[in-house]
Amino acid sequence: MKAFRAGVAALLIAVSALCGAGSAMAGDLGDARAQHVVRNWYRLMLELVRHTPTYSPPVASRSFAYVGVTAFEAVAGGSAQLQSLAGQLNGLAPAPQRPAGAHDDAVLLNAALTQVMENLFANTGPTGQRAMTAFGERLSAGAAAGVPDDVVARSRTHGAALARHILDWSEADGGAVVENMGFPAAYELTPGPAHWVPTSRIAQQQTPLLPQWGENRTLVMPDGAACPLPAPPDYSEEPGSAFYDEAREVYDTVNSLTDEQRAVARFWSDDPMLSPTPPGHWLSIALQVLEQSEADLERDVDVLARVGVALSDSFIACWNAKYAFDLVRPVTYIRRVIDPQFEPPLITPPFPEYPSGHSTQSAAAASVLTDLFGADVAFEDATHAEDGLAPRSYASFREAAQEAGISRLYGGIHFRAAVERGLDQGRCVGRYVNALRTRN
Amino acid sequence: MLRFAILLAVMGAVAPLRAAAGEPALTVPRFVEETATSGIDNVYAGDWEYMAGGGVAAFDCNDDGFSDLLFAGGEDRAKFYRNAGAPGSALRFEAQESGLELDRVTGTYPLDIDGDGITDIMLLRVGENVVMRGLGGCRFERANEAWGFDGGDAWSTAFAATWEHGARWPTLAVGNYIDRREDAFPWGSCTDNWLHRPENDRRRFAAPLALKPSHCALSMLFTDWNRSGTPDLRISNDREYYKGGQEQLWRFEAGRAPALYTEADGWKRLRIWGMGIASSDLDRDGYPEYFLTSMADNKLQALSGAEGARTARPAYEDIAYASGVTAHRPYLGDQVKPSTAWHAQFDDVNNDGRADLFIAKGNVAEMPDFAAKDPNNLLLQSAAGSFQEAGDKAGVASVAIARGALLADLNLDGLLDLVVANRWSKAQIWRNASTDAGRWLQVKLRQDGANREAVGAWLEVKGEPGMTRREITVGGGHASGQSGWWHAGLGDARQADVRVIWPDGTAGEWQRLESNRFYVIERGRPARGWSPG
Repeated sequence: MKAFRAGVAALLIAVSALCGAGSAMAGDLGDARAQHVVRNWYRLMLELVRHTPTYSPPVASRSFAYVGVTAFEAVAGGSAQLQSLAGQLNGLAPAPQRPAGAHDDAVLLNAALTQVMENLFANTGPTGQRAMTAFGERLSAGAAAGVPDDVVARSRTHGAALARHILDWSEADGGAVVENMGFPAAYELTPGPAHWVPTSRIAQQQTPLLPQWGENRTLVMPDGAACPLPAPPDYSEEPGSAFYDEAREVYDTVNSLTDEQRAVARFWSDDPMLSPTPPGHWLSIALQVLEQSEADLERDVDVLARVGVALSDSFIACWNAKYAFDLVRPVTYIRRVIDPQFEPPLITPPFPEYPSGHSTQSAAAASVLTDLFGADVAFEDATHAEDGLAPRSYASFREAAQEAGISRLYGGIHFRAAVERGLDQGRCVGRYVNALRTRN
Repeated sequence: MLRFAILLAVMGAVAPLRAAAGEPALTVPRFVEETATSGIDNVYAGDWEYMAGGGVAAFDCNDDGFSDLLFAGGEDRAKFYRNAGAPGSALRFEAQESGLELDRVTGTYPLDIDGDGITDIMLLRVGENVVMRGLGGCRFERANEAWGFDGGDAWSTAFAATWEHGARWPTLAVGNYIDRREDAFPWGSCTDNWLHRPENDRRRFAAPLALKPSHCALSMLFTDWNRSGTPDLRISNDREYYKGGQEQLWRFEAGRAPALYTEADGWKRLRIWGMGIASSDLDRDGYPEYFLTSMADNKLQALSGAEGARTARPAYEDIAYASGVTAHRPYLGDQVKPSTAWHAQFDDVNNDGRADLFIAKGNVAEMPDFAAKDPNNLLLQSAAGSFQEAGDKAGVASVAIARGALLADLNLDGLLDLVVANRWSKAQIWRNASTDAGRWLQVKLRQDGANREAVGAWLEVKGEPGMTRREITVGGGHASGQSGWWHAGLGDARQADVRVIWPDGTAGEWQRLESNRFYVIERGRPARGWSPG
């Protein structure tokens, strides 16, 4: 059995073992059970993102945020250490208070996460539905084992109320309904050679992905335009111009890729439907670092909520800019101006170029993780081990984000300006998230 | 922001489906659904373990020349139907006990495994696969033990067969899907595909060889993609479940372990929800193109690279968009959700000498991101090589949840009829009642010894508008296969020159045959005419 699957199985067994140890409504053992509930649902979520066709990277980032906030508020409601995000996140009203009487965090979390996951992944296929049901049932039974019936009932009821509260909040953000996998039925191309045109022969992708996503309600930023960017270099086909030089750099780089550069491009490729997507990659990094650092439950939900919020807002900011500048992709320009036979190593995503989404969201996530764990935390990233890609090691989150950004140039799908300004934009988003108060 | 005055409507911009100016109008065939009166009453039933599969097979098991039908039943028993029709008549079948009525059958393919001239049947199952020996008179018996066939215990969903050079016994490839016991976390649990090769020089199978890595195969096809004389094994895999997987092409050399073509060999990584394979030499260059069904856009692959160098490297480019066969969303109604495609088959439904394309469509189960009402496609090929949708005009645009299918001449009138197996609802059958179709001929191939039906041969027919080449294969599609008559449309040609490139590479003589007739071509002998009854 492969590593990731083994990890999930081990976690499920661990839940059962912990529950079998007897009742634990509070204290370390109870936290450990609750922590296993959270991490199991996150692992399933990363898999469902890969197998639910609606889940392009922006859509995935949105769900990561709402699941993170759900877990955080569930724990914060019974914690003296955590401060609710209500009033700090746009439109989030205070969550229902826990009724009088004892609650069990594991049971409460499982009830809340089950309901939120079933809602956010209602469109997943029969296998995903089956998996959610099986996960929910096993985790539910494990979490409730040894817990008094009245506590189980009270915890489940409150978990459901909390889930409803979060879902009600989520449904008005502009991203709740995604049709045709995010590709609109009609779209007007911006005139002129500087602007995006379809880059593939996939019929569904003759319009760009989610052109309205940048108008969604943000979570912590004031709005999607809160992290603006300078314009990219002026479009020109003149050799020696800044724009031409950027394209030439992509062309020359792609045509002389080293094995290391090729490995970097593939490692951060994170294609939708074939991976947990770029935001899922960073969530995976967060989970790996949480395990590495032997974090407790409160640390888990704090980190996962912040990273989720950062990823979601970074996609809104990035999409806002993408459709404002609506820049042509390298493959289009290079084939037009430099070499008609140009083939980028990566699949060019079906939306405008500037800035690089992976760069924006990587820098945002890295900023948040740096704020939480420190500037020099080394880690190994095994996100794609099961897909046959060897783990890569980084000296810091910033280094990983820089590599994620430049990977898009190696892959022939972004110019340098999109990478560098995207990283800038991500750091801007990160600053908003880092200003949240999650601890009393 | 300024915008183009031109509105780029997604679907309107997709494909140049109309025949080029000056081309003759395409002849749209007329199909009449005869499900209610045909005697066919089969449902592919079952829950999660039967979301794929749902095959149908056509073969003649009583030597009357008419194709009989076998349907997979999923959790219900498979059903066999004897063809009780008459030439040119309405389609009529009678259910009959055959020995093939096993439960948990997902797919079924006919082939003469033991070379006795009687069709045998491969039954793919959730559980043990079973090879069924034909006894004649449409009776079959289990032959796993007699033939040394290890049916295993898996979720089998794909099949292909070939006779390797010099072999007296076939090589069978079985594609397997998810580990069905991993209900909570099935992703990454693709189980091994199996290769059942002959045991030394004996007329039985050796223990199966695992084809590692395996990536949840939903279709397999032994095909001589570069006309080397040795078919390789194409496998279309479902990216929903594999980790690190892709479409595959295995290199086969007699007596050697199969080896995957790699990027260094020219193979390009492609990751789709691969569900079915259809092949045809559409551009008449001697090499087959491959249509791969998936969800949303489907793929049509043609060898790329410079002329003369193409056959050295299996580098394919996708020409689906240019050819008008992306078939990515329903063409009826106002649904914008993408389609889900399963079985595909190239054949000439209007006898104009050009292969057309049928695609069976149907939601996996209740996937809200994909079209719930997803009509089957019938794409007619124009003289320019592009395709035009005619499923609705031809009368086959069913929105039942289709899986397997077959185009076959079920009433021996020279027109290809259509059978579609549906999940959770009755199979459907249509008679091709066209009155303005072109001329045709149909051929059975026979040779002595093993591989009596000449699997791996190429049938070449010079009609109108030019040469058509058909590779005789067992496999591909989605869980569905057929044997018997091979059909060729001839346009207006009253005669056609026909020859066979036999599986060992020997080219038969060109023979001039009259149109609108059936022929049996036995190796080394003149074609023999055949008439029903």
